[in-house]
Parts: sequence; structure tokens; C-alpha cells
Amino acid sequence: MTRLLMLEDDAGLRASLRMVLEDEGYQVVEAADAERALDVVAGPAGVDLMLVDLMLGGMDGFSFIQRARPQTEAPIVVVSARDGVADIVAALEAGADDYVTKPFLVDEVRARLKALLRRPTMVSTSRTEADAFVLDAQDGPLVFDRGAATLARGDDEIHLTNTEFRLLGVLADNAGRVLSRSSLLEHVWERGFFGDERIVDVHVRRLRKKLEAEPSSPTILITVRGLGYRLDVR
Amino acid sequence: MKGDRPRRGLRASVTLAFAAGALALSVLLALGTYFSARHFLVQQRERTATRQAFTDGALVRDSLQTSGAQVSDVLGSVSPPAGAVIYLRRHGEWYSSVLDSAGPDLTAQVQPLVAEGAVGVGWTDDTDPSAVVVGIPLPAVEAEYYEVSVAEELDRTLWTLSVALAVCAGLTTIAGVIVGRAASRRVLAPLEQVTHAAVRVSAGDLTTRLGATQDPDLAALVGSFNHMVDALRQRIEQDARFAADVSHELRTPVTTLTTSLSLLERSPDLSPRSAQAVRLMSDELSRFRRALEDLLALGRLDAGGYETEPCLTGALELVQQALRATGHPPGLVASRPEGEPDPTLWVDRVQMLRVFTNLFRNADLHGGGLTGVSIRDRGDVVDVQVEDRGSGVPTADRTRVFERFARAGGKKTGTGSGLGLSIVEQTVRNHGGDVWCADRPGGGAVFVVRLPSADGADR
Repeated sequence: MTRLLMLEDDAGLRASLRMVLEDEGYQVVEAADAERALDVVAGPAGVDLMLVDLMLGGMDGFSFIQRARPQTEAPIVVVSARDGVADIVAALEAGADDYVTKPFLVDEVRARLKALLRRPTMVSTSRTEADAFVLDAQDGPLVFDRGAATLARGDDEIHLTNTEFRLLGVLADNAGRVLSRSSLLEHVWERGFFGDERIVDVHVRRLRKKLEAEPSSPTILITVRGLGYRLDVR
Repeated sequence: MKGDRPRRGLRASVTLAFAAGALALSVLLALGTYFSARHFLVQQRERTATRQAFTDGALVRDSLQTSGAQVSDVLGSVSPPAGAVIYLRRHGEWYSSVLDSAGPDLTAQVQPLVAEGAVGVGWTDDTDPSAVVVGIPLPAVEAEYYEVSVAEELDRTLWTLSVALAVCAGLTTIAGVIVGRAASRRVLAPLEQVTHAAVRVSAGDLTTRLGATQDPDLAALVGSFNHMVDALRQRIEQDARFAADVSHELRTPVTTLTTSLSLLERSPDLSPRSAQAVRLMSDELSRFRRALEDLLALGRLDAGGYETEPCLTGALELVQQALRATGHPPGLVASRPEGEPDPTLWVDRVQMLRVFTNLFRNADLHGGGLTGVSIRDRGDVVDVQVEDRGSGVPTADRTRVFERFARAGGKKTGTGSGLGLSIVEQTVRNHGGDVWCADRPGGGAVFVVRLPSADGADR
């Protein structure tokens, strides 16, 4: 059963969301504040998925995400009344995988969670290639193995979150081709037509920090101005 | 003064006052000059004429004393100056140095004086130009001597003088107009700045301030103007913040409501009546939710602090995405002629998608359905035309439809939030574009969104 941590300080919303999510088959663990939520993340049972509100009493959602991210690769969906661009980007930079702004529809949250829970290897696109990609043959080969869901430079394994894996997977399947932000949103986040493409940008930035020798002047994950992104395998 | 005549402008009034002042002053001076000069010249002329008359009169008297001299011979022997005519009256008979008999009439004015034995000097207008008449009694020969000299030179001098003075008066008046204009411009210059600032403020630029001034006469105006704009801005910000805060506070409760209601909706054991009630609630709640989202969006646009993240975007691709998002076939947008590139825009995609989805929903809700979208590249700008098959928007309502909570024809038609088109307008304006509504040839309305072209900007 999927363990879902819900960090939300409004008791009413917690109760109603809990009912809906339990109907969906999640095992819901509630937390009214970030300290309690961190205990759950660090606890023996861990979590598979997190729904996090940003505005909380005490420690806020941003700090929670920053602290929880190193401990778990479980997807984090931010649920917030704050929808300023700066807030959204800050939450994503901190390590969130997706976000939903209040007031939202339950179906929306349900879809977000389902998409993020899909195994990275289950992402399918038009092309199916070999499972292992050598992304960068130069300094200590950078190998992305989709089958084993690992990324390694030489002998060092690089930790990727589920979403980062899915993003890299789609890019690798289409290596050498330009993918638009909206098509990446559709394939990786399974967002509809109205998704916020900043999610893609922030994740690309996060991914570059892990892939590139010089994240500010990328050589593997290239921005194609006005069109989208392209993965160049060297 | 509060007549029906249109009021004169301040500048015109000042100029007019200067002109009138200059005119009055110059006319007064000219008249004074003219009359004193004339007085002097006339006196001088009279003196000259009198002197001449005495000389000639003495000559005539002496000649007449010579026995046997005929009056006409005597007069013929005297040679008066040019323009002067001598008349002589002796024993009731009139004699003249020329062959005319105007003597009695011309000298009528001075005759009584001369008859009494005094010298008479006068003017007559019977000649052209007028003439000085000098009459001298000659008791020694029992005669009255008259000399009438035409003041031609004086007349010419006075004419020249009056022309010169009139020209001077005219020039002075013109100078008055010029000075008046300059002065009024100088005086009104600060007012012009205030006007420009007020225009900018009324156009919505609340950062407008008047520059500080050293002029004590203007300092109060500048101070209170800036203060007024500050107060206005604070007030508007307060209002916007209030609306944003209220909407913000409603977010979580509305979310809880929709979430709980979605549970109820899926519940199998509701009676038909309850199910109907739940459906009603659900419909209204979704309307409420949309209105709240629109209010929040509008609040952000109002605050102006809404960060836009513009990027290069193909207009065709953007419109197609908005069509898909609103459940229309992407083919509804007219395809571009072969070989013509998709015009590119420099816009915030998320915001601009909202613009087009709002317009498409508006066409579906109020315009009888979206019939087509076309993209026109006009060089510096790109027009996107959204057409519907409704009854069109009456001319009187074409700006009103963009106002908040305004609905075409004043009727409330169902499910819109009443804010969709306001968001469209505000967003397009923020992008430096414009949006308007017109008639579609063949019925229906067409909404045109005009955005600056990214190609145009690069060129």
C-alpha cells in the first residue's frame, strides 16, 4: 500500500482530503506541522509520496522540502494557496516534483499523484532503445541505465529523484531531438495542456547540476531557444 | 460674463489682455503726440502766414497811398508766396490777386475782427487743403487786407505724422500680442507639466510625480499634487490587497468544500432528491471556484507585480494548445499559407494561454459557439481573431464587455465568472498589446487580440 504523507495545517482540508485519498487506496499519514512530518519521513516505515502545504505555523513548507529531500526520493507535490512565480520556483528548487494551487479539484491532485508514482521505467515514448545510455564518454563515463534505474559516473552512483529519472528517460529516448516544454510536461508529469512549463525548467536545472560538469554552460542537456530541450549524447 | 459664448482659454485671455493694453497705450500716446505736434505746427504756420501778410499788407498800403494807383494794379504788382491769395476790400468792393470772387466767403471768419480794426487770424476749410486766413485792417487807405494761404505743407506733414503714428501703434499692439503669448506660455509652463502628469496618472501610471521646484508660488501645487497621487496609489493598492487577501483566505475553505463534495457526489446511497441537491451545490461551487480563480488572477494583474516570464512562442502553436485545452479541434485555427512562417510572439505562455482559453470559452458561452480563429501577421504586430456565431456585441457594449462583471446586454447568462474578458484585456495590455471587439462579416462577433510581434522587434 502506498504510504502518503499529508502535511497540511488546515484540519478541515486534511480530513476531507484524507477521505478522498483513502478511497483511492492510499495509506494516509497526517501531519499538521513540519516537525511531525520530518519524523514520519525519518520513521521506519518511511513514505512513498508527500502532499505538502507551504504556509504552516512554525517551520514552513520550503524548509521541510529542503530537509526531507535528501532523506527520500519519494515524489513531493506541493499544495498551496501561494501561487506567485517566485514561490512556485522556490518550492521546485527546494526539491518538489510538482505543485497544485488551491483551490484545486480532487481529480487534479489524483492525476498528479498517479503520474508521479509511475515507475520511471514505465515511461514510454515513441522510440524504444537500449536500456543503458552512455551520456558522456569523456571524464569517467556517465551511464544512465533505465532498466536498473541508475545513473553513474564511473563507479559513483548519482542519486536522482523519481521525477528526474522520468525526465532523463524521456530525453534519452529522444536523444538528439528537441522536445518542447509542453511535450515534456505531457510525458513526464502527464499534465494536460495547461501545465506550468516552469516545472520543466526547474527540473532541467536540477538535472543539469547532477549531469553536467559545468551546469551553467551545459553540453549534455541543451536549451534550444524558443523550442525546448535536447539531450546530446557524446 | 457667464454668457453662452464659449469660454476663452487662459492663454488666449492673457494674450488678449496684453494686446488690448498695448493697443490702448499706443493709441493714447499716438493721439497725444499727434495733437501736440499738430498744435505746434498750426501755430507755427499761423505765425508765418501773419508775418507774410504784414509784409505784403504794408507793401499794398504803401502802393495804394501813391496817388492814382489802381487797386488791381497794386495787387498784381505784389507777389505773394506760392499758394497764397490776396483779397482786398475797399469801399465795399472786393479785389483779388487772382481771378476769383471767393474772397468774401473765405474771409468771413475774420471779417468782424478786421472791421473792428484788429488783426484776425483764422482757418477756412473751403479750400483744399484748408488754408490760413489772415486779415489786417489798412485804415490809412480805408481798406481791409486779407491773405489766404493754403497750408499744403502742414497738411502733408500731419498726414505723414499720423501714418507714422498709426504704424507705430499697430507695431506696438503686435509686440503686445507677442509679449503676451510669451508671458502666458512662461506662466502656464508649470501648469502644462501638471497637465501632462495628470494625464499620465489618469492613464494609470501611478508612479508619476512632479519634479521638485524652487519656485515658492509652485511649491504648494507640486507638493499637493504629489501627495494626491501618493494617496491615490495607496488607496488603489489597499483595495487590490483587500480583494487579494479576501480571495486568498477563501482558497482553503473552497478546496475543502470541493473535496468533500466530490466524496458526496460519488456516494452511491444518495436519494434522488439529495443527489440533485448535491449536483446543484457542485455546479454552484465550481462556478464559485472559477470566480475565485479569476479574482485571484485579476488581483495579481492589478497589483502589476505579477511576474511575467516571457519567452519566444509561436502564435499558431499557442492558439492550438488553447484550442485543445478548451476541447476544440486544433484545426479550428485557419492554417497558414504554404511557406509562410508561424509568427512568433514574446509572451508569458501561461498568461497568454489563459487569454485565449478565456476568449474561446467566452465565444462558446456568450457567442453561440466558436467558429474559427485566424492569425494575421501584420509586420510589427500579430492579430489573432476569434470569431463566433452569436448575435454579436452591440456597439454600445463593445468597451463595456471588458469591464468587470459586465455581461453583454446586461443579462446574466449562466456560468461565466464575469471576469474572463477583464483578465484578457489586462493581460494583453500588460504585454503591450490591445484587444477589441467588432462585428464579424456575416453575423456574430470577432474579438481581436493584437500583440507585438517578436519578429518585428528583432527586425
